[in-house]
Amino acid sequence: MKISRKLYSYYLILPALLIYCVFFVVPALTGLYYSFTDWRLDRVGIKFIGWANFERIFTDKTLLLAIKNTLIFAVATVIGKNLIGLALAIALNMRLKTRNILRAVFYSPSILSVLVISIVFTPMLRSEGTINRIFESAGLGFLSQSWLTDPQIVIWTVAAVSVWQHAGFQMAIYLAGLQSIPKDYYEAATIDGAGAWRSFRSITLPLLLPALNINLMLTLIGGLKVFSEVFVLTGGGPGNASQVVGTIILRSFGEGSWGLGTAVNTLLFAAVTIIAIPLLIFMRRKEVSE
Amino acid sequence: MNQKTKKIAAGLLGGLMAVSLAACGGGNASPGGSTAAGGSGSSSSSSGGSGTTIELAISKSSQDSAFVQQDLLDGFEKETGIKVNLQLLPAEQTATVLQTKLAVDETPDIVQYNLASATTDLNLERNFEILDDQPWVSRLENKEVLSAYGHVYSFHVSQDTGMQGVVYNKDIFEELGLSVPTDFEEFLAVCEKIKAAGITPVFMPYKDNWAANVWPAAAFADYADKNDPTLFEEINSGKKKWADVPAFADILQQQYEVYEKGYTNGDVLSDSYDMAVGKFLGKEVAMMFMGDWLIQNVAENDPEMKLGLFPIPYTADAKLGASPLGGQLFIPKKAKHLEEAKKFLDYVARKDVAQGIVDKQKYVSIFSDVTTPELPEYKQEIVDNYITPKKTILTVDAHMLVDRSELYRLLQDQFAGGIDAEGVLTAWDEKFAQLMKDKEIAGF
Repeated sequence: MKISRKLYSYYLILPALLIYCVFFVVPALTGLYYSFTDWRLDRVGIKFIGWANFERIFTDKTLLLAIKNTLIFAVATVIGKNLIGLALAIALNMRLKTRNILRAVFYSPSILSVLVISIVFTPMLRSEGTINRIFESAGLGFLSQSWLTDPQIVIWTVAAVSVWQHAGFQMAIYLAGLQSIPKDYYEAATIDGAGAWRSFRSITLPLLLPALNINLMLTLIGGLKVFSEVFVLTGGGPGNASQVVGTIILRSFGEGSWGLGTAVNTLLFAAVTIIAIPLLIFMRRKEVSE
Repeated sequence: MNQKTKKIAAGLLGGLMAVSLAACGGGNASPGGSTAAGGSGSSSSSSGGSGTTIELAISKSSQDSAFVQQDLLDGFEKETGIKVNLQLLPAEQTATVLQTKLAVDETPDIVQYNLASATTDLNLERNFEILDDQPWVSRLENKEVLSAYGHVYSFHVSQDTGMQGVVYNKDIFEELGLSVPTDFEEFLAVCEKIKAAGITPVFMPYKDNWAANVWPAAAFADYADKNDPTLFEEINSGKKKWADVPAFADILQQQYEVYEKGYTNGDVLSDSYDMAVGKFLGKEVAMMFMGDWLIQNVAENDPEMKLGLFPIPYTADAKLGASPLGGQLFIPKKAKHLEEAKKFLDYVARKDVAQGIVDKQKYVSIFSDVTTPELPEYKQEIVDNYITPKKTILTVDAHMLVDRSELYRLLQDQFAGGIDAEGVLTAWDEKFAQLMKDKEIAGF
C-alpha cells in the first residue's frame, strides 16, 4: 500500500483535470450563465433576464414541436436499434457459413458519414423514388408515402434511417456480450429440458444485461442529442415539421439569439442528465454476476 | 489525512487555473484587447501595405464573384504588394460565421455580403465603416444602392440589382402560340396549354424554402405600392399585422393553386434550386418564379436558349420585382488592415479596372466614367420594358428588418399541407413580433 502511494501521487491527475476543466467545466458553467441572459447579436451589453429564455422555450410552438420530435426520435431509435441489433447479434452468433461476411455487411453502414447516407437516401425517399417504386411493383402501392415531405411521418423516416445506420453498431456490442456467456450454461439448461425461449430468458438476457445497459445509454443519449441526421436529410423541414432540439439550437444561433440558443442547449444537457443517470443506476442494480 | 488534503488541494488548484484561464479569455474578447497578432505594424504605417495580407470573407455560394477573380487579385498584388487571402464561408452558415467573427473581433478586412441583409443580420451601423469620404464615391451614378441610413456603407461596380418575376422559355411560348400572361386567369390558361403539350408548366424547387418567397416578395410589394404605400412602415412599427391584409393571403393562395392544379413538378418539396438550370436546358419546364440570374446561369451553359422574364401575374399590370442590390463589399470597423482594405476598393474602382470587370460581367455600370457594355438580349429587354419606363418595384425583402428564414419555412409548410395561406401569415406575425421585439424596435 505504502509503496504504491509513493509511486503515484495525486498530482498526476492535474493535467487531465485541467484539460477537463478548461474544455468542459468552464464552457458548461459559462453556458449556464449565458442561458439566463439576453445575449444577442445586435446588443452591445448582456443583461441578466432570469427565466425569460426558458419561459419562451415552453411557450413557443416550434420549440415544443422540436422537443416532441426529439422524444419521438429518441424512443423510436432506442427501441429500433436495440431490438434489431439484438436480433442480428443472436442470428449472427449462430454457426452460419456467411457469418463473418454478414457481420461486416451489417456493421458497415455505421462507419459511413451521415452525409453520404443522406445523399444515398434522399433520392430513394422521394415520392417517385426507389422505395415507393418497390412497394408499387410488389402490389403494395398503398404503402408508398411522401417519406421526407409529409409533416406527419418525416421524423419517423429520419428515425428509421438512423436505425438502419446504427443497428449494426449495437449488434457488435451485443455480439461481444453474447460471446462472453459460457457455453456450459446452455448445455446444462438443455439437459434440464429448457427450450430456446427459456434459455434466452433465463441465461442470455440476464448475462447480456451489461451490454444492454451500454447500448441503451448510448442510443438514448445519441437519440436525445440528434442533430446531423435531421440536418442533412430534411434541414428541419418541411416547414418546421422535423425540427429537433439540436436544429433549433442552430436556428437560434443563426437568428442571432445566442442567449436563447444556450438556454435550449442547457435544457438539453439537463434533460439528458435527468433521464440518463437514474436509468443507468436502475439498470446497474439489475445486473447479475455470473 | 495527508491524502485528503492533497485531493482538495489538487481540486482547488485545477479550479483556480480554470477560472484564471477563463478570465484571460474574457479579457481578450473585450474591444480594448490586444490586436498585435498578425498585425506586424502595417496598419499604422502610412506608406502602406507592401507585404501585408488582407482577408476577404465571402460565402462559398458567391465564389465566382467578380471581386475575387484571380487576375484581379493578382493585379492588385502586383501594384501594391498587398496579398488578398480569401476566406470561403459555408453557404448556409455565412451569416452565423460572420456574426460570430464580428462579435469576437476576429474580423476579416473585407466582407462580401448583401446590403439589405447586412442591415438585418450584421448590425451595419455598429460593425462597418462609413465610406462617404472615399474618392470613388463622387463618381457614383446611383449612390442609393450602396447606401443605408443615409451613408454609403458598401461598394460595387454594378448598379443592376437583379430582377425577379417569372422566368420563361420563349421558344416554348412561341411553339405553342402563347403570349405573356398579364393576369392570374391568363397565367392559369397558359399553364393549362403548356401542360397539355406534355411540358411541366412551372418548376417549383421548394426543398430550398427561400424559392417559395419569390412570388409573394414581388407581389406583396406591388400590392402595397398600388393600394397602401405606407403599409410596410405600419407593419414595421407594429401598427398593422401581416394577417390584416387579406390580399396577402390571396397572393399566397394563388401560388398554392398553381401547385394544386397540377401545373408544377410532382414533388415540389424534394426538388432543389440547383436542379433548375438542368430542367430549363432539357426543356422539361417552361416557367419558374425566380430572378434573372437564373437566365444568366442557363445562358452560360447554352447561349442559344432564349429565356425571358415577366412580372409575377398576381393581378393585371403588376410591376417587375427588383431585388435589393447584392454582393457588395464592406469594410468592418475593426478590420486589422483598414487602409489596405480601402486601397483594394480604390483599385477596383479605378476607371480601367472597373471597366474591365463591367465589360466581362456585362454589368450596368455604377460609375459615371465607366461605360456599360452591350447587354445580353434578355437584359436589354428588361431595361427597355421595365427599368426605363420605371415599371419595377423593390421586393418586400428591402423592407424587412429581421431574419426572414422562418417565413420561408412557413411557406414551405404551406406546400407540405401543414398550414393554409392565412396560417402562414398568422404564424409569421407571431414570429415577426418576437424578432422585432428582440431587436428592440418601437411598437413591439
